[in-house]
This record gives sequence, C-alpha cells and structure tokens, in this order.
Amino acid sequence: MLQHLLTLIWNKKRQHFLLFLELFISFLVLFAVFTMLVFNYGNYRKPRGFEYERVLSVSAFQRFAGDAPRDSLTIISQQLKRALEAVPGVTAVSYVSGNSPYTMSQSSNNITYNNISAQPDEYWADDDFAKVLQVHMVKGRWFNKSDGAAARKPVVINETLAEKFFGTADPVGKILNTGTDKQIVGVVRNLKDKGDYAELTPGIYQRIDSGYQDRFLIKLTAGAAPSTESMIYKTIMHQLPSSNTEIEKLEDKRVMKNRMSLIPVILMLVISGFLVLNVALGIYGVVWYSVNKRRGEIGLRKAVGATSGGITRQIIGEALVLTTLPLLLGIILAAQFPLLNLFDMPVSIYIVAILMAAAFLYLLVTLCSLYPGRQAAKIYPAVALHED
Amino acid sequence: MIQLHQIEKVYRTDTVETQALNGINLAVAKGEFLSIMGPSGCGKSTLLNIMGLLDEPSGGQISIAGSDTRNLGDKQMAHFRNQRIGFIFQSYHLINDLRVLDNVELPLLYRKSAAKERRELAAEALGKVGLSNRMKHFPTQLSGGQKQRVAIARAIVGRPSIILADEPTGNLDSAMGNEVMDILLRLNKEDGTTIVMVTHDEQMARKTHRLVRLFDGAQVQ
Repeated sequence: MLQHLLTLIWNKKRQHFLLFLELFISFLVLFAVFTMLVFNYGNYRKPRGFEYERVLSVSAFQRFAGDAPRDSLTIISQQLKRALEAVPGVTAVSYVSGNSPYTMSQSSNNITYNNISAQPDEYWADDDFAKVLQVHMVKGRWFNKSDGAAARKPVVINETLAEKFFGTADPVGKILNTGTDKQIVGVVRNLKDKGDYAELTPGIYQRIDSGYQDRFLIKLTAGAAPSTESMIYKTIMHQLPSSNTEIEKLEDKRVMKNRMSLIPVILMLVISGFLVLNVALGIYGVVWYSVNKRRGEIGLRKAVGATSGGITRQIIGEALVLTTLPLLLGIILAAQFPLLNLFDMPVSIYIVAILMAAAFLYLLVTLCSLYPGRQAAKIYPAVALHED
Repeated sequence: MIQLHQIEKVYRTDTVETQALNGINLAVAKGEFLSIMGPSGCGKSTLLNIMGLLDEPSGGQISIAGSDTRNLGDKQMAHFRNQRIGFIFQSYHLINDLRVLDNVELPLLYRKSAAKERRELAAEALGKVGLSNRMKHFPTQLSGGQKQRVAIARAIVGRPSIILADEPTGNLDSAMGNEVMDILLRLNKEDGTTIVMVTHDEQMARKTHRLVRLFDGAQVQ
C-alpha cells in the first residue's frame, strides 16, 4: 500500500507542488522554533550555580577627582564595606564589576592557553563574592586575604573555561596570561548570571584588591527587617553623600532578565503559531478538496474491497507520504547546521529539534486529514460511482 | 450463484418516497450470463448495486454463493466484494493519476499479496484483454474502448466468480462495444465467470444466456 501511495503522490507532484513547498518551509520554521526551545530549555535545566535570594544589587556611583590616590579610594571602599557589614540583617558584602549577575553589562577578554583560544566573560569580585552568592567551588578555593601577598595575582575560572583549556586535568596552580601572568587558585561551578535561559559561557574571575568599585552585592539574613534596605541606603549616603545610589533586589533583576530572554522566543512562537495555523488550514483544505474531488475514486476503492477504515487510513497515509518528501528535504538542509557548526551549538540540540519538528508536522498533518479521512470513509459507493 | 428474494428498494426524502425496486425475485446460476434491460430509471443499476453489495435493499434477502449477506459488517462486505465480485462501469472509473498497470492492480491492494505477484496478475489480466502494450500508459492516453478493456482487466484480476457490468458498452461505438462484449463472452465461456450485465442495447442482450426486463422497479420478463 505504501508503494501505491508513493506512486499516487508522485504522479500528482505538480498538483501538490505548492503544498510541498508550504510543508518544506513549515518544517524549517518549526526546526528553528524547536532548536530555540530545546536550547533554552536545556539551559534552564542546568543548575544556576549560585543563590540569588536575599541578595541586593547596589550601585553607588561616586565621582572622584581624577588624581585621587588609589590607596585613599581603597580606604573609602573598605570603610564603606565595614559600615555595610555592620548594618543589622546584613550577612556579607562583596564588591563586583559592572557585569555582576542579571545586569546588561558584559565584559570579555581574549585568552590563549596552549594554543587554545577562548573569549571568556571577565568578572571582578572580592574575597566575599563566594559567600554572598554561595557559589560552589569545584576545585581549589575562592580568593582570600593571602592572595594579596601572592607573587602572582590569583584568578578563579569557571567549569566551562576549565574544560576548554585543561580538559580533565586539574587547572589549579596553572598560569594564565590575561595581559599579565596570573595563577589559577580555583574552579567555580558555572554561574548562570545572564538569566535562567542563557547558555553557559567560559568565565574568569579576577580579584578586587584595591581602588573603588561602584557596584556591590549584599547578602541579607533570613529574618532581615524590611527596614534593612533603607538602613543600607542611609549608610551609603552617610559614607558617600554625593553618590548616585540605586538598590535593587537580585530576585527582581532575575525576573526582568528572564523576561528579556523569553521575548524573542515568544515572538518566534507567535509568528510560527500563525504559520502553523495557516499550514493546518491549508492541509485541511487540500485534503478536504481532494476527498470531494475524488468521490468516484473512493467509491471505486470501496467497490473493489477497501473498508471504511482502510479509506480513512489511505487519506491520512497520502497526507503523511506527501509530508515525508518535503520533510526529507528539510532534514537534509537542517542537518547542515550541526555539520557546518553554524551556531556553535551541541549536535544533540539539532537532533532533538529535527525529531520534534518532524513529529509535530506529522501530528499536525494527521490531525488535519483525520476528519476529511473519516468523511471519505462515509462515502456511499453506489452514490459516489453514480455521481462521477 | 446469486439469489434475490423479494428485494425492495425505497428512496426517501422529506417529502417524496420513491419505490426503485418492488419485490424482485431473481436467481442467477453459476456460469450464467444474464442481461438486465429496461427504460432509464426502472431500477436496473440499483438492482446491480444491490447484487454487488454496493447498496443495501430496503427489504428482502440476498444470497451469494450460498452466503446470506444481510448480516455482513463493513469489513466482511468489503472482503466479500474483493474476493468474489468484479465490477465494470459505463464510465470506466479508472484513476487518471495511476498508470494502466496500477489501475488494474487496485483490487489486489486490498488483499494480502506481494507486489511482484500483483504485477504479474495485473499484467496477465491486461494480456487477456489485449492491452499488454499499454501497461505504462495513463488512462487519459487511451481510447474509450481501451479504457473499458482496462476496467475489465481490473474486474478480472482478482479472479472473481461474478462480474457485474453496468452498461459496459454504453459509452462506446458499436465496433468497440462488440470488442468489449466479445471479451465478456469469452470470460463467461472460457473461465465460467458468472456475469450480470445491465444494458440498453437489445443486440448485446441477445448475445447473453438470459434476459431480464424491468419496468418501474418490477420484473416484467
């Protein structure tokens, strides 16, 4: 029967060309949508690597004179940090660079190790960063005071960068050149600091040991009073009266960041939803028209031995065979993405997306041809043969 | 072979009730070639459709080869038609999107037979009707007579014991009509196939073993 359906569809290829094209384009759009969904879902499922609850993200922009000595800026920073740590309800405070979790800022640097190049995100953080965000060290340690006296400045790298540069070897103690030689003191679990749906990228953390950073993270205790935030603000304004200070909850920033990540996905889903609706109506219309145009043929098939169920299966089977041809063409095209490594995504994402797009299209076609197929099965052979 | 007992057929609409067949009793013997004649609208085709289980009678009983067909379900009815009955229609009912060979193969698709076997049987059936050289053609490339011969090949490919032909020569000129009639006579004589043919053509009907005349849904001869 399959051979018969193939013959039938092949002999009608000119009539089906537009539908063929529509299905081909639909597959490619569905492939793009499912790739995006699988990619985002895969990222979502990965551990976050840090705790964002009860963490405040504070920016206290303070303009200092251009010739202000670095040591005095360091003293200002340390005084502010001590004052903030003394606020009731505050557990820990960490200075961070502008690209701290859930901000829009990004900073990266080209690093080469053993002829392997990477462009990791470059972060700056102080000794209390691990405590504030409760990050998990995979190997080695986070920065501490002893690093201030070390011959080489310390760096901490994330798992992704460690794997890229060192594979399964232990990176702790190895030297990386980020402009100057720096020693790796630890490997931290990947931090999904760009949102829950963002992919994990290589990252390197450098130690803040001097100067003034205008951004810091503050970890509050579980029972911190609602007034803690205003006390923090007052403390900052007391220390830096002319600063431009903004306090945000990391939880809120996370929600905002996630929304922004989902906007392109939602847009794509809406657009593809309309396309799928059009395709569904198109398939339904074509199959319905085909059934009505072929009433005589269906009557004949019943006369020569087709059962009602057989007629339904044939109508659905024809639609599925018709779908298979553009689908194969679409799969060949889609397979070029992993083969040519076009977006540097894991092959498994493309494979899953291809399978999901194919399954979705088959399901859609089956549903759209089910009702016309059932109507075809009800055709009364004596009537249909007489009409034709 | 075919026994019809008190067959009634009534078509009903909201306002009109039409009696298409009225108490038809008919027995067709095995190997018999029977023709049915009558004016248009007298119920000839309806009777043939009922014999071929394409239509259900409003009353009465049909027995084919000893089997009572009243209680057959959809699947059993389809199987029965596929195994025992071959149909020939006035307007051929060939599928224009399929080649001649594929058209002839059609009844075998609904049996458990291998593709190779189907091809062989279809080719053999086409040989019997003298169309071996047209197997790869599409129906639109054939003349009316050739189309009807393809339809005959399709009817006989499953080696049914009964052929029901509804005005098989109705759309053909006399030469082609005679050709088709000769094939039917040969099938009846050589293969012993039981044939029931509806016709308007007195000359064709005279070539068959027996003639039944209908008028207003009733048998008059």
